[in-house]
Amino acid sequence: MKGKKHTQRRWGSGIYLGVILALMYIPIVLVIVYSFNKQKISAVWGGFSLDWYRVLFHDQQMMGALWNSLKLGISSCLISGVIGTLGAVGMTKGRFRTAGAIESIATLPIMIPEIILGIAFLTFFSFVGIPYGMPAMIIGHCTFCIPYIFINVRTRLLGIDPSIEEAARDLGAGGGRVFWDITLPLIAPGILSGMLLAFAMSLDDVIISFFLAGPTSTTLPVRVYSQLKTAVTPEINALCTLTMGVTFCIVIVSQILGSNKFKRNRREEL
Amino acid sequence: MKKLLVGFMIAAMAMTLLVGCGSAGDSSQPSTNNGAEGKTDEEKVLNIFTWATYFPDDILKSFTEETGIAINYSNFSTNEEMLSKLETVQGGEYDIVLASDYIVKMAIDKGLVKKLDKAQIPNYDNLDPSYLGNYFDPDNEYTVPYGVGTPLIVYDPSRVDVEIKGYADLWNPALKDSLVLVNDARNILGITLKTMGKSLNEEDSAVLEEAKSKLMELKDNVRVLDYDTPYNKLLEGEATVGYMFTSQAATCLTVNPDLKVVYPEEGLGFGIDAIFTPSNAPHEKNAHAFLNYILQGEVAADIYPQILYLCPNKAAYEFLPEEYTSNSAINIPEENRKDVEFIQVISNEASDLYNSIWTEFVQAVG
Amino acid sequence: MEKRRRHDGSFFLAMLPLYVTTLVFVLLPVLYVVALSFMKRDATWGVTSEFTLENYIRLWDPIYLKVLLDSLKIAVKTTLLALAIGYPFAYCMAKLPPRKRGIVMVLVIVPFWTNALVRIYGWMILLRANGVVNTLLLEIGIVDVPLKLLYTDGAVLLGMVYSLLPFMILPSYTSIEKMDWSLVEAARDLGAGKMRAFLTVTLRLTLPGILSGCVLVFVPSMGLFFISDLLGGGKEVLMGNLIQNQILTARNWPFGAALSVVMMLMTLLFLFVYRKSTKQSQPEGMA
Repeated sequence: MKGKKHTQRRWGSGIYLGVILALMYIPIVLVIVYSFNKQKISAVWGGFSLDWYRVLFHDQQMMGALWNSLKLGISSCLISGVIGTLGAVGMTKGRFRTAGAIESIATLPIMIPEIILGIAFLTFFSFVGIPYGMPAMIIGHCTFCIPYIFINVRTRLLGIDPSIEEAARDLGAGGGRVFWDITLPLIAPGILSGMLLAFAMSLDDVIISFFLAGPTSTTLPVRVYSQLKTAVTPEINALCTLTMGVTFCIVIVSQILGSNKFKRNRREEL
Repeated sequence: MKKLLVGFMIAAMAMTLLVGCGSAGDSSQPSTNNGAEGKTDEEKVLNIFTWATYFPDDILKSFTEETGIAINYSNFSTNEEMLSKLETVQGGEYDIVLASDYIVKMAIDKGLVKKLDKAQIPNYDNLDPSYLGNYFDPDNEYTVPYGVGTPLIVYDPSRVDVEIKGYADLWNPALKDSLVLVNDARNILGITLKTMGKSLNEEDSAVLEEAKSKLMELKDNVRVLDYDTPYNKLLEGEATVGYMFTSQAATCLTVNPDLKVVYPEEGLGFGIDAIFTPSNAPHEKNAHAFLNYILQGEVAADIYPQILYLCPNKAAYEFLPEEYTSNSAINIPEENRKDVEFIQVISNEASDLYNSIWTEFVQAVG
Repeated sequence: MEKRRRHDGSFFLAMLPLYVTTLVFVLLPVLYVVALSFMKRDATWGVTSEFTLENYIRLWDPIYLKVLLDSLKIAVKTTLLALAIGYPFAYCMAKLPPRKRGIVMVLVIVPFWTNALVRIYGWMILLRANGVVNTLLLEIGIVDVPLKLLYTDGAVLLGMVYSLLPFMILPSYTSIEKMDWSLVEAARDLGAGKMRAFLTVTLRLTLPGILSGCVLVFVPSMGLFFISDLLGGGKEVLMGNLIQNQILTARNWPFGAALSVVMMLMTLLFLFVYRKSTKQSQPEGMA
């Protein structure tokens, strides 16, 4: 009896997950479909064609912009992953009077409209004398990537039973050891989801990237928005389709490669 | 989960490498250099700053092939972004900037623009004099006019029963919920002023208040406000009448030739996007070489059919393809071109009034 | 005692990078914005360092108060809707076997790695007069004339929830997944009904996640400007649009800054409430 009910509930939740995911992917499917549109303007379907992929592969500026975006997104999400995680751990475990204030300030960048933050950065960086270009952009992106990781990790930490860490410490493990072997695996999902979000935000940022860019560091979103003056072409759709394809390949491959390790890992967890 | 995290990091790095190799293979992207390399000759680099695709890709490629000068193309999406940036770098970093007339005027007034050395640009003479000597550069010392345009009315005659001759017809009650307008205070209040026989640059607050009540009467006719892609709304059938910029109107006609263009009888607005060299441009010589290159008649004839703006280069006229010259958003009759007006910079008080009227109007529409 | 202090030292060291980046790269620029909001604008371009309160006085204009109110309304609606959809999603996700959880998490995020503008264009293709939904409805015969789906308040809300949903799902998931299920079972064993156990135990234990999610959804939803432009047909002025306009088309930086300061203050208030409630929500037995 209980088993049957259980499977029913599993089915129900599976369907719910499926429906919401499907809704998330419908617009993406249309993006993919329209990457094969012969017509330049997305309003009209002009027949099937692979032209935009050809255009894309010959567009050095687009490729350069994509490369800049990836460099920027990956470096800032890795750097802020480290800073945000350490900060969240330190803040939750240690007791500092200034912690609350810092937490609020650190979260501000995702709350301030991009445009105003962009102008503040523009003025501030020229005042401090940091030259525009990739390093400045990475700093700028870190400021709004950190909160995503910080909030996720802190949420996770608040739910962890501190007695586990204490037990490890009582058994003689050092602080670093406790962090590496106990705390980190426990907060890993928080770090991962925070970094995934941060990467997404970095990939989408237009204004801050624009204000901090140098002559050679135009990113993809800056280019896309800038193209509105002369009509966005399905070339962008083609690019999105390809990046989605590559991402999914990586996910699938990492799942296959990791599946054995996962089984082992799970046994350890249990 | 820790494994998944590590997996993600590895995947991310792999992706970086993957794309890195891909782009290293086929691109000749030059590295960042500020030109102060101690060489007597300029390095073969040109830093361009403008909207994406406004200089067509094939033109840039053939320029690089011909001269060996590699191009860094960086983009902005609004004029104001450009000026903030240019001001902070004190007119350095970029060699060629292409932006709209009023902002070029501001840049000149701020001393951020360098005078052109016409001796290095023999093809400057190819420019049609009717597009020269404008308010932002009366003596043609600083700029090369590039994209010329005028906002127009476009409509779908199969779905509109009323006759449209000018801005005033947009107020026709028969057009309820069917207009797409550019989302811009100056342009839309501007055409309202035009229907009242006033200037696009009116600053008198009493007149503006009057224009406000006139504008409010338009609210029921507005279906969409869209600055960037109003042509899509017309082509999709969401709207039947549109007021939009030249290249947008021309795009409409290339996709659907049955649409009709109206040259409003009250007189046309007018705008010129112009090229200049910033005051501390690191590669001044290359910038002049570039200007001379794109001013060649045949090169210009390649550019304009791609960007769909009016062509100010008289040497290009004979080479322009028929499908471009016959586009009625491009081919504006001579009599309509006589009575045109630029949208210029107005006082802060007037500008604030325009914007609060606009905010109120948009709230009323929604 | 000795041990405790040593740990505090290493925790402080861990926090140092966050402190430095926050103070240098966040606080200083934010202070600049605050200063800017008290300045006068220069003729045509830029600002003068003359002190004025006029930017704050101007905020009381009914037009701008309406903008603020409209933005708050849509932010509340977006947050509630995202919570109603996202929390159950996170709950179901946490109930999956561990391997599938990772896959679903990636599936939730990957769409957001494609350009935001292009994704919203996808919705426009779906919703427009001759779009997929209308064609389908006409085919089936549910409607005779195409519905006006696009450029409505509903479309804006849809776009907002769609864009911000992962920010609700992930923090909720993060706290549900870590929850100690034995407490729920204990409550059930002690005779609590399913609903009661959920309300008193599950919901309470996962409150930090819910609240983080609300913060991450609520605040950005006031600043997102391109969604109301694209899906709402530009017919709605929200805080994000207004600030964007003041900076870029009206060239009035100080007023834009004043509007931003108001938004920041509202956010800080929100965060204050959030911190107070997460402190309370730490169940005594666990913290």
